[in-house]
Amino acid sequence: MCKLINKYSKTGNLKYISHLDVLRFIQRAVKRTNLPAKYSEGFNPHMKTAFGYPLSLGTESIGEYFELEFNEHVDPDVFVSKINQVLPKEMQIQKSKETDEQESIMSRCAYAEYIITLESETMDAEKLGELFKEMLQTGLVYPRQKKNKKNKTVIKEISTLDYIKYLKAERLSEGKITVEAVFLTTETGSMKVDELLKLMEERGFTADYHSIMKIDALDKNMQPIL
Amino acid sequence: MIDMKKLDRELLKVEKPARYVGSELNSVVKNKEDVNVRFAFAFPDVYEVGMSHTGMHILYHLMNSMENVWCERVFAPWTDMEEIMRKNNIPLYGLESKDELMEFDFVGFTLQYEMSYTNILNMLDLGKIPVRSKDRTNEMPLVIAGGPCAYNPEPLYEVIDLFTIGETEELLPELLKLYEEEKKNGFDRLVFLEKAAKLDGIYVPGFYEEIYNDDGTVKERKTLNENAKDTITKRIIRDLNKSFYPEKSILPYIDVVHDRVVLELFRGCTRGCRFCQAGMVYRPVREKESDTLVKQAEKLINSTGHDEISLTSLSSGDYSCLPDLTLKLLDMYENQNVSISLPSLRLDSMTFDIIERLQEVRKSGLTFAPEAGTQRMRDVINKNLTEEQILGPVETAFNLGWSTVKLYFMIGLPGETMEDVLGIKELAYKVKDKFFQRPKEDIKGNLKINASASCFVPKPFTPFQWVKQDSMEEFFDKAKSLQREIKDKKVSFSYHEPKLSYLEAVFARGDRRLSAALIRAWEKGCRFDGWYDMFDFNKWMEAFKETSTDADFFGIRERSLEEVLPWDFIDIGVDKKFLVSEYEKAMGYTTTPDCRQQCVNCGVNHRLLGGACPHVQVNK
Repeated sequence: MCKLINKYSKTGNLKYISHLDVLRFIQRAVKRTNLPAKYSEGFNPHMKTAFGYPLSLGTESIGEYFELEFNEHVDPDVFVSKINQVLPKEMQIQKSKETDEQESIMSRCAYAEYIITLESETMDAEKLGELFKEMLQTGLVYPRQKKNKKNKTVIKEISTLDYIKYLKAERLSEGKITVEAVFLTTETGSMKVDELLKLMEERGFTADYHSIMKIDALDKNMQPIL
Repeated sequence: MIDMKKLDRELLKVEKPARYVGSELNSVVKNKEDVNVRFAFAFPDVYEVGMSHTGMHILYHLMNSMENVWCERVFAPWTDMEEIMRKNNIPLYGLESKDELMEFDFVGFTLQYEMSYTNILNMLDLGKIPVRSKDRTNEMPLVIAGGPCAYNPEPLYEVIDLFTIGETEELLPELLKLYEEEKKNGFDRLVFLEKAAKLDGIYVPGFYEEIYNDDGTVKERKTLNENAKDTITKRIIRDLNKSFYPEKSILPYIDVVHDRVVLELFRGCTRGCRFCQAGMVYRPVREKESDTLVKQAEKLINSTGHDEISLTSLSSGDYSCLPDLTLKLLDMYENQNVSISLPSLRLDSMTFDIIERLQEVRKSGLTFAPEAGTQRMRDVINKNLTEEQILGPVETAFNLGWSTVKLYFMIGLPGETMEDVLGIKELAYKVKDKFFQRPKEDIKGNLKINASASCFVPKPFTPFQWVKQDSMEEFFDKAKSLQREIKDKKVSFSYHEPKLSYLEAVFARGDRRLSAALIRAWEKGCRFDGWYDMFDFNKWMEAFKETSTDADFFGIRERSLEEVLPWDFIDIGVDKKFLVSEYEKAMGYTTTPDCRQQCVNCGVNHRLLGGACPHVQVNK
């Protein structure tokens, strides 16, 4: 018996792969290592894995997490070197550690840290900073459509105050602005970068092109999980 | 390369963007400066369907094993993606390089299903390649096609520059080498096509003229080019043990239709069912040795991490080393949670001790294909299956704990009466009775019988290539009668759309005059015709009308045995007189034995092999 917690990247074209598909893909990669992964008992055995807070489609990341159980002791370094050989370069395990943590990996993910790169000839980083200040201090409220349990569409009001922990815009170079953002990720939900971009658009901050990179998932003390 | 930022901005708007990005594990990326020939393997359906096709995996890795060749994949974009590509002027591109189709030397389509033809036109058009062969210039890619539907290539006459007939594992490398040579000497399209036409198994439709009788039937074919052969003989791989089989397969990130390691047990089939085109065109039977298969399984499992191995062929129960192979694979993989599946098992050949072992890992439903409801009809189609041979295994299956059974049938078979149609109900009910006529304590689970009927489509190179197809009204009539008659909670009945089967028959038995209607239907917006929700029958009818095409003439019409058929110039190795004698026997309800028992003189042995068939030699 042995449980490993692993931090992995998901970059390039893999940003188009959904969370559910990533789960399946990683399980398959584990299988390719021929290491003694643990399976559930029963009719349709499945590999014992647990994943961190799901990443939105279209977002790259260098800070994703999953836990994996083995029937025997497996050295984290051996696991990393074996699995990275059978993973594409856009998805690599960066760190792995033995763990006996009882709290689920999902609930340990308290915050998500992003860097958003915006390309625009006209956007002004300082003015964007003022909008961010408003979001952080007075708060902006926006509607979110959601399906309830009876499959009816309900509208929920979301305030930026509920989810944004940190938000900062900076001019990177001619026509490029980077935004650093930290959002709360809770069991009841989080804010999506797309929602932030939409709020910006409504205030006239529209980028010609943008890319989103999740830097890490942070625990309650704002420290990287691994 | 296409504008990647433009693509990136749009991709999140489409359903399943992973269909359009490539980068899967085991996909092959080469440096385009290092290769001389670039081949786009084009599958005219969506990614999930195309990625489930074993032939594509074989040819992809085969071509990429050639140093100077880079083979990429391209699939039909779903309608949402098509809209975005057209609106933003993004041309169709190869998944590996993201280079547009126009940059390739070959665009090669696989023809698996007649109803995918409009997608071929659409893919060419999205790649900015003219849909008509005659409009393509020297610099443009060569548009080639092969696969089962290429046995009647004529409906695609205007579209495809060159067809490959038969198995292409040897032919394709020959063709690519020829191309490479020609490219060195300053490429000329016509010269290349002329040289290619001399290779066995290559058909260049533009080198022939078809002349018609007053009644519209084919009078004769004339060659327009001295390099064109009168008869095109299909290619086969003589020894599958020595033939290329990939050690890796591309691993899709998203769920595809079949996501598993596929082992090909053998090609061909000895059963001789008279409706079955595959059973005729893939002759002779050639088995792979079980050692070869075990080695291939090992390599593929290691390179993919799949949890299922599928043992495929046209009739897997006929594989001579089946028990040996399955037990070996089970011993190797049972502990690794890899299951083994055996699709295409015939009822009578079901060896239950194997099936039972297979179920230890994962339990699946059981499918039986009696094909017809009465013995008379089963004799007509040469299914060689009695009612006892159907119900016996069903009973065994119930005793072993199965309770969900699928039954496949066809309606509209030659000579069928309403009594035969209702025989489907009778047989389904007898299956039900088998379940309940057991001791009470043995009856476990909730019985569910799913009977389904497809509408018979007469196919070229079968003993039924001459017969009349039922009209759509007749199909509906038969299907509705069954629906009315089957009134049992335990038995459900469904049927295949007759309109689709009608159109399928038109293209299966059509000639080159259909090209115009095909192009018109595409212009009117027909796409993904095999997808029920996309199929627009009215548009097709309009297209036939606007091009003065008599669809009934190609589809449902009965042919006389003397008529020159549009596909007669292709030689599949089976004698036409064998097909005639099988047709005549069918009309007299006479069956023909499995040719493992006794050679039926179909002609394939002396015409393709120059000796006895390999399976006959094995048996001796």
